[in-house]
Amino acid sequence: MHQAPPINMELEAQPLGALAHKVSILAGIVGLAGLGIAVGLSKMGEGASERFYHAYLVSFCFFLSLSLGALFFVILQYLTRSGWSVVVRRVAEVTASNVLLLAVLAVPVMLGANHLYEWTVTNRVMEDDLLQWKEPFLNLRFFLLRLAIYFVVWVGLSRFYLGHSTRQDRQTDPRLTLRLQRWSGPAMLLYAMTVTFAAFDLLMSLDPHWYSTIFGVYFFSGAVVGFFAWQAVVLLLLQKAGRLQQAVTAEHYHDTGKLVFAFVVFWAYIAFSQYLLIWYANIPEETVWYLRRQNGNWALVSIVLLVGHFFLPFFALMSRHPKRRRMMLAVGAVWVLLMHWVDHFWLVMPEFAADGVVPLGLMELACFVGLGGCFVAGVSWGFRNRAVAPIGDPRLPESLAFENV
Amino acid sequence: MSTTDHALPLAEPARQSWGLLAEYLTVPELLAAAEKVRNAGYRRWDCHTPFPVHGLNDAMGLKPTILPWLVLGAGITGGSIGMGLQWFTNAFDYPFIIGGKPFFSVPACIPVAFELTILFAAVTALLGMLVLNNLPEWYHALFRSKQFRRATADRFFISIEAIDPLYSPEATREFLKLTGSSHVELIEEEAD
Amino acid sequence: MATMPLKNTMIDNTVEDPRQRAPLVLGNHDFTTVTETICRIPEASRPPQAWYIAFAVSSTLTLMLGCMVVYLISTGVGVWNLNNPVGWGWDITNFVFWVGIGHAGTLISAILFLFRQKWRTSINRFAEAMTIFAVVCAGIFPGIHVGRVWLAYWLAPIPNQMQMWPNFRSPLLWDVFAVSTYATVSLLFWYMGMIPDLATLRDRARTKIRQFAYGLLALGWRGSNRQWLRYERAYLLLAALATPLVLSVHSVVSFDFAVSQLPGWHTTIFPPYFVAGAIFSGFAMVVTLMVPAREFFGLKELVTPRHLENMAKIMLATGCMVGYAYSIEFFTAWYSGNVYERFIFMARAMGPYSWAYWTMVCCNILTPQLFWFKKCRTNPWILFAASIFINIGMWFERFVIIVSSLATDFLPGSWGAYAPSWVEICTFIGSFGLFFTLFLLFVRFLPMMAMAEVKSVMPQALHKQGEHQGLGDYWGDMPRGHEHKPGGHDVHH
Repeated sequence: MHQAPPINMELEAQPLGALAHKVSILAGIVGLAGLGIAVGLSKMGEGASERFYHAYLVSFCFFLSLSLGALFFVILQYLTRSGWSVVVRRVAEVTASNVLLLAVLAVPVMLGANHLYEWTVTNRVMEDDLLQWKEPFLNLRFFLLRLAIYFVVWVGLSRFYLGHSTRQDRQTDPRLTLRLQRWSGPAMLLYAMTVTFAAFDLLMSLDPHWYSTIFGVYFFSGAVVGFFAWQAVVLLLLQKAGRLQQAVTAEHYHDTGKLVFAFVVFWAYIAFSQYLLIWYANIPEETVWYLRRQNGNWALVSIVLLVGHFFLPFFALMSRHPKRRRMMLAVGAVWVLLMHWVDHFWLVMPEFAADGVVPLGLMELACFVGLGGCFVAGVSWGFRNRAVAPIGDPRLPESLAFENV
Repeated sequence: MSTTDHALPLAEPARQSWGLLAEYLTVPELLAAAEKVRNAGYRRWDCHTPFPVHGLNDAMGLKPTILPWLVLGAGITGGSIGMGLQWFTNAFDYPFIIGGKPFFSVPACIPVAFELTILFAAVTALLGMLVLNNLPEWYHALFRSKQFRRATADRFFISIEAIDPLYSPEATREFLKLTGSSHVELIEEEAD
Repeated sequence: MATMPLKNTMIDNTVEDPRQRAPLVLGNHDFTTVTETICRIPEASRPPQAWYIAFAVSSTLTLMLGCMVVYLISTGVGVWNLNNPVGWGWDITNFVFWVGIGHAGTLISAILFLFRQKWRTSINRFAEAMTIFAVVCAGIFPGIHVGRVWLAYWLAPIPNQMQMWPNFRSPLLWDVFAVSTYATVSLLFWYMGMIPDLATLRDRARTKIRQFAYGLLALGWRGSNRQWLRYERAYLLLAALATPLVLSVHSVVSFDFAVSQLPGWHTTIFPPYFVAGAIFSGFAMVVTLMVPAREFFGLKELVTPRHLENMAKIMLATGCMVGYAYSIEFFTAWYSGNVYERFIFMARAMGPYSWAYWTMVCCNILTPQLFWFKKCRTNPWILFAASIFINIGMWFERFVIIVSSLATDFLPGSWGAYAPSWVEICTFIGSFGLFFTLFLLFVRFLPMMAMAEVKSVMPQALHKQGEHQGLGDYWGDMPRGHEHKPGGHDVHH
């Protein structure tokens, strides 16, 4: 232990200013270029435009899940009156608020719905009893309305939390914290319902015949894993940029690492629950979903997911040492993020690749880089004029002095 | 147990001194004293507190325990036994088909293998802790001290054993008094 | 020992101020008085009269349980009203009910420990004891429902006269492993947590018998810091192991149902949904027991309104999770387009067991909504009443799941009906007798609160001023004037 010297938070948490400006523009250019290439590729050859939408959906859901994981974290911190996390919370607030950008980036998903969702195609619905049964829910108009509602809720919640927290930077009014705490319960309920149905709509309805009640929880668990890995990476980059160098200590990394570990296990638990129950009951209408993911090369992807998304991070992050060493944690976090992308790839793509071929190529990369560039630009933009930590939060001293026992 | 002779009166051959016990009233006093004892170079000494005191391990300079490794080993053993047991009983020794499942159905083996992992690891955590701590140890010289009974209630103690190379009945007593102890007591035990 | 100065310096520690952590121990307590407050309960030469009355009632009920079990075994399972198709009735309902209750203890000890929720220290011992007794009650039901209990060893992988091994692909066997592991680990956890407190009782004991009994159980603990080091590490490891264990146990219980193909049972959300429900019911039972206990044993300064409020919040959260699961199940029953799924959910709401269904909904979904209001979270008797409703609701949840799905499955021709016999009812009531008997013995002879842990969250346990800010959540805080004298030592190198 050490007698902590006073930390100048004003300096430590200085907005990124010109740097953020530069990063945003650069990342934005990369992002638009990526999307441009993807769109270009979509014009080339038969089936290319379908593939664009599929690949786009994978990366869209991936980045959306990071923002949603962040939103969960922000609400949870107020719900539990958490103290340790204050100094790292701004990262989550800004990431969550980036859902506004994702609302814009959702437009291609909406436009391409008929390439993605079988139930939007009238002919298909006409010849399928089940799709007709589901028509009151699974129809394009209601789908778009629901997406709009989800984004309104997410943008509203994330702006509400970010706005109040930013206001507190200057006002240092503890009543703002109280206000955010008071609304955290209802916010969490809204969050749970919207995220669940968004997972049903965006991902589960790719196979409109298939259903799984745990699917919303599965999406959520992955989102939280992805977010914590993202948080570790962003914190490291902020420190590289000369911010929070004293404020964020090994203790905060340790906790972030613990949360990655915990949610990796939680994700595995949820994934196993879903798999075991469907495997065991062996009802064809359910097992078909897993069959597609065991077909041909997809079996390999499934194994990569099992090993890479669970076993490797589980054993790598079990001990306390890698969680406290920044570079080791960074490597782990990037790996987990990669696997989290594979998870979304695994959720989406097999629905369009019945022959067992794994379509992984330039299109997928272009969509990932395209959306990723935009996402990074948005997050970076959020730090332009805003302190990178909530310096007015009444629990900041507690967070700065935090130690794992 | 070997002890150095401390010029005890020969009239009481049945007793020999075990060491000194110093009492402290508060946590900060104890922590300060523990640092001093450590810095003075004592080896055979200990603190006694009614609850785990945060920072005391550092103040005493204690090394971490190997317990986590034992527990990890036990967990892996338990998991392997769980898997092996299910393979042996249901797929090797007496294979039979149930519900159309393969003889060795890995998904169905996970729950039992998991439970045995936890069972082995948890039992090892408790037993390992006890063994490493040399417990149960129902008799201990310190229990002869009446004052020491408060070590489990509301007082803090430092004990220095007579077998410590630096131990000297007078100097150590003076030293302990200087660390801020409110009360230093000689602990005796029955000679072997 | 100083006599207990019970001062009425109750300040309201439920007032929320983000600038400081609320105190977790009220009144002018120091280590001496905390020891005294907790120890005097098992040390009293005789317990309060209410204890005797309660013990008389509960041991009579236990006797009734014994008679019912003997009657069942000597006569056969026909004394229960189980039939075909309803082969599981109150027996398995009670099993799941009790096992669910048994989840709060380990949740509080393990998960809240990992989450650094310091307020757990006042209630964890109590909840762990409750867990073990609930698991004992739970174990009885599957034990006796197998019919020929003398052949129960067939469940274990030991050679038997059939020359066969148990079927490890059956979730019922997973249950055997899960519940017995859970019982063992909970017992270890409980006992290990109690070792330092047993040593306290040993050192305070005035009679030879007590000295011997507590001394034997305390294993010679002498508060050595070299021992504390390993002890704390072992505690952390047990917490880390018990956390996934808690999740697994009720998940495995849910597998008993969900691996089947029966509508209403086979649904993928069952594992987390059962776990949430278990924590929900377990906390309700902790509140049911804690509210009167803190009243009768003078523990209000240690189990403060803030503790109650936190428990209420957990019940609200887990209640909402249960509500979430109900609604997702209902939605999916429609969304699936599967007629059997749809039918069973309509049958639950409007069929022969709809009264049970609506009891469940009212108790489990509506009752916890009270906890949105602070008044209801902090008033002990509102909490107490609500917790009983939640217990009732959670029992009905299991009843609805088990009986409605079995009674009306795929073929109308094979439908049936089920109502319990008097033997089943008496067995269930008797299990409460056993539970309370064990519990009353616990509060009579063992330390009801983890003294060592409560002390460690008191401000006097900190070694420098203001350090409580650095120790995570809910590090206890005290009104000014009770801190230790500023020592001025810098203990660090």
